[in-house]
Amino acid sequence: MGFSDTLLKHIRRNVTVKVSLLLIPPLLFLAIWFYAPFFIVGLYSFDMINIQREIVFKPSLIHYLRVLSWTGAMKIFLRSLYFAGVTVILCLLIGYPVAYYISFKMKKYKDLFIVLFIIPFWVSFLLRTYAMMSILDERSFLNVLLTSLKLIDSPIRIMYTDTAVILVMVYDYLVMMVLPLYANLEKLDKTLLEAAYTLGASPVKTFLKITLPLSMPGIMAGFLLVFIPAVGEFVIPELVGGPNNYMVGNLIYEFFMGARHWWIGSALSMLFIVFILSLVITYVRKMGERGLAF
Amino acid sequence: MLKIMVSGVLGLAIGGVGGYFSRQSEIDSLRKEIEDLSKQIELQTFKLEPNLNIYNWTYYINRNLVDWWAKENGVSIVYDTFESLDEVVAKLQTGTSGYDLAVVSDSVVQELANMRVLEPIDLKKIPNFKHIPEKFKNPYYDPGNKYSVIYSYGTTGLGWNNQEVAPEVTAWADVFEVDRHLGKYKGKITMHTDSIETFGAALIYLGRDPTSTKDEDLREAVELLKKQKPYLAGYASTEEYMAGLEAGRFLISHAYNGDIAGIIYASDEREIIITKKLEYISYTVPEEGALAWADNFVIPKGAKNIEAAHAFINFILDPVVSAICTMTVKYPFPAGKDYVPEELRKDPVIFTPEELLDKLYWTRPFTPEERAKRAEYWLELMAA
Amino acid sequence: MKGTNLFLKIFTILVFLFLYSPIIVMVVFSFNESKSIGVFTNFSLRWYEKVINNPEVWKALFNSFWVGAVVTIVSLILGLMMAMAVTRYNFSGKSILESLILIPVIIPEIAEALSLLIMYIFLNIPLGPVTVIIGHVAFCISYVTIVMRARMAGYDRSIEEAARTLGANEFQTFFKITLPTLYPAILAAGLLAFTLSFDDLIKTLFTTGPGFKTLPLVVWSSAARGGVSPELNSLSSFALSISFLFAVFRLRVERRLER
Repeated sequence: MGFSDTLLKHIRRNVTVKVSLLLIPPLLFLAIWFYAPFFIVGLYSFDMINIQREIVFKPSLIHYLRVLSWTGAMKIFLRSLYFAGVTVILCLLIGYPVAYYISFKMKKYKDLFIVLFIIPFWVSFLLRTYAMMSILDERSFLNVLLTSLKLIDSPIRIMYTDTAVILVMVYDYLVMMVLPLYANLEKLDKTLLEAAYTLGASPVKTFLKITLPLSMPGIMAGFLLVFIPAVGEFVIPELVGGPNNYMVGNLIYEFFMGARHWWIGSALSMLFIVFILSLVITYVRKMGERGLAF
Repeated sequence: MLKIMVSGVLGLAIGGVGGYFSRQSEIDSLRKEIEDLSKQIELQTFKLEPNLNIYNWTYYINRNLVDWWAKENGVSIVYDTFESLDEVVAKLQTGTSGYDLAVVSDSVVQELANMRVLEPIDLKKIPNFKHIPEKFKNPYYDPGNKYSVIYSYGTTGLGWNNQEVAPEVTAWADVFEVDRHLGKYKGKITMHTDSIETFGAALIYLGRDPTSTKDEDLREAVELLKKQKPYLAGYASTEEYMAGLEAGRFLISHAYNGDIAGIIYASDEREIIITKKLEYISYTVPEEGALAWADNFVIPKGAKNIEAAHAFINFILDPVVSAICTMTVKYPFPAGKDYVPEELRKDPVIFTPEELLDKLYWTRPFTPEERAKRAEYWLELMAA
Repeated sequence: MKGTNLFLKIFTILVFLFLYSPIIVMVVFSFNESKSIGVFTNFSLRWYEKVINNPEVWKALFNSFWVGAVVTIVSLILGLMMAMAVTRYNFSGKSILESLILIPVIIPEIAEALSLLIMYIFLNIPLGPVTVIIGHVAFCISYVTIVMRARMAGYDRSIEEAARTLGANEFQTFFKITLPTLYPAILAAGLLAFTLSFDDLIKTLFTTGPGFKTLPLVVWSSAARGGVSPELNSLSSFALSISFLFAVFRLRVERRLER
């Protein structure tokens, strides 16, 4: 009775203790199972672990220099940026009109429709990718339909090409662009638009000068939510990509699992992580705390 | 008792009625042969620990046999499969894979043995070892069979459609030179996704050592492959090229012999009745040479059920069981050659002629550094 | 003006078609009698029979569920603690903490999965369900924290203070007042964690042990190996119906809580 009471009294008074008690278990867990692995990968990348798995205190940049000097890696990295970039742009071009239409033009059923939009995304990423595969396959229903309607001469062979990768990526990531856009458009003060109209602005001008700029936060959020996972995408190139669709995710995998050269694999991972983190940090700097509130 | 067991084996192995009825007489005589030889199946009769975890290539065994053995011995088997050697090496190199038995290729046996993550094999527990032909015992990659026992073997050459392709495919030059088959059948040729195989083929064609890691050799090989790439349909692995060749989408594919045999003699993973024979597919070991390989049983470090692992190896090495495996997966299981029906036994696609084996190249284990170097060149090809 | 409206309308409809058709086609053809994925011959449940009779599928499903349950519970507890610390107190280093929480969400999955694998190998930890669960929790804690934090933002602590003045101690306050009030947040976060764990592919792929498969893993190995096939269509449709039922359940629960 006595000891626990005094302990509790002490805890009550001391905020630091309270906070620590709350934070220690989760942080400890993350420290061991999330940050420590990256620490080890970091050690490998700086050549501080030898082949007998002992830690050696002689950091070296040789693996980084090797990876950076290797044009193949650079090409593959640029290729990933290209694919992710095209995906983001397509998601924006396709997603913005839809978000705009549902938000602005659908008065009665907008809630229903936004839910209807999200429903396909309740299905897991993998299953959606597979569903696309069954459409893109040569023998698919789509091909059969198009050939029987005489719209094409022979089945479209898209599988294992760039087009397939981009199509599937857009399909899988579209929702990540539409949701932030929709949220943003919803929060838009419609009275501003009314004001613009009464002042005589045309719809196009209103859109370009008011709506679009005000929806920038949504666009930026969507950009981030699509681009960042897309650059590191591994599953889609593996399933629907051909040999020309070798991307960063496959590259890192190849060195860890294929060549089993953990030092180079680690250097590649670290470089990639640094790249992603710098993108996010730039975003946060530009958007401030608001940008993270989604 | 043994007769019942054997008929049980046969019943399970044959499974449902296949449909190749004209082969019924062969099946009947096979059944009789097996019954006559039933006394020669030596099954373990002592008690085994209940769990056995096996890790093998996909489609590389007759699953009915596995299930039957498991039931007979009261062992519950976890049978996992892998698609590429990377997976099995990644798992086994930890020394804590959790598997009791795995099937890995020759170079991997050396690599894992060097890493000391293999349990030694006690040949005394494998009396059926005697059924393996001398040639497959005591291999260069594991003298004295300390860590491995042969599972199956084969070559990697060219599978091709003999109806659509003319003239005959005979050499790597056919797929590397534009004025030969490469140009004529553009878009219908595939090379292997495994860099060891494709680099191997390129290096052999160039007259070099297929296991070379010298910059000059790899540079030449990559340039050759880059020139070839635009003419290819792609880089295909087993599933892809088997489906592609059968459907006619691919006319020439860089392939394992057993896979090609698997297309020619089609049957199910649990059946040995061959449902059809495709005459339009052929397999050639290119005249410049090719890579040969051997898959082996190994017992990974940390295996909990070493007894059962040995017992299972012994079971597979039984001649009849080996024969059934050969008939199911169309890869040769050396111990059972004599019991395989003549048509399959004499087929050079399945049982690579012994004289040929001596002239082929074998791969070797690479250090991480060598692998990284090859990976860089390979990825340069992929990035092109 | 009318023209743009019409254009937008048609465009939106087309996008909806684009979104739904692959899934619908896949489900429809899973009921196809023939092996074809392009021509529908007859209605048949034969592929579903294969799926349902496959013990591997049920084992994987069972694994996905219990792993999901464990991951949800553990990440809820740890995430709740973290969320409480962050919303209730101000302390130095808080912004660093907030970034630390966010990082697991941003890191590319494949880098995370491989790093975890490397560490398991480095420490000689055998792979199996436990390593899978750990991998999922490490990733879910952040999501749980973020969701809970968002929902705890407007949380009024005066009720707690009232309870305290009436003589309740820490634990009583927490279990009788705080938790029940936070129930919607906990539910939302829990459902999210479960979904993330249930659907996870990449982390599970690299950290699983012999014989331990989850449902996504079974779908993946089938798809990666053989590509599109009618059995896989049925398996995917089967998995899809589970996700769907779960999502509907989630929606219902959230709707009910909003009242």
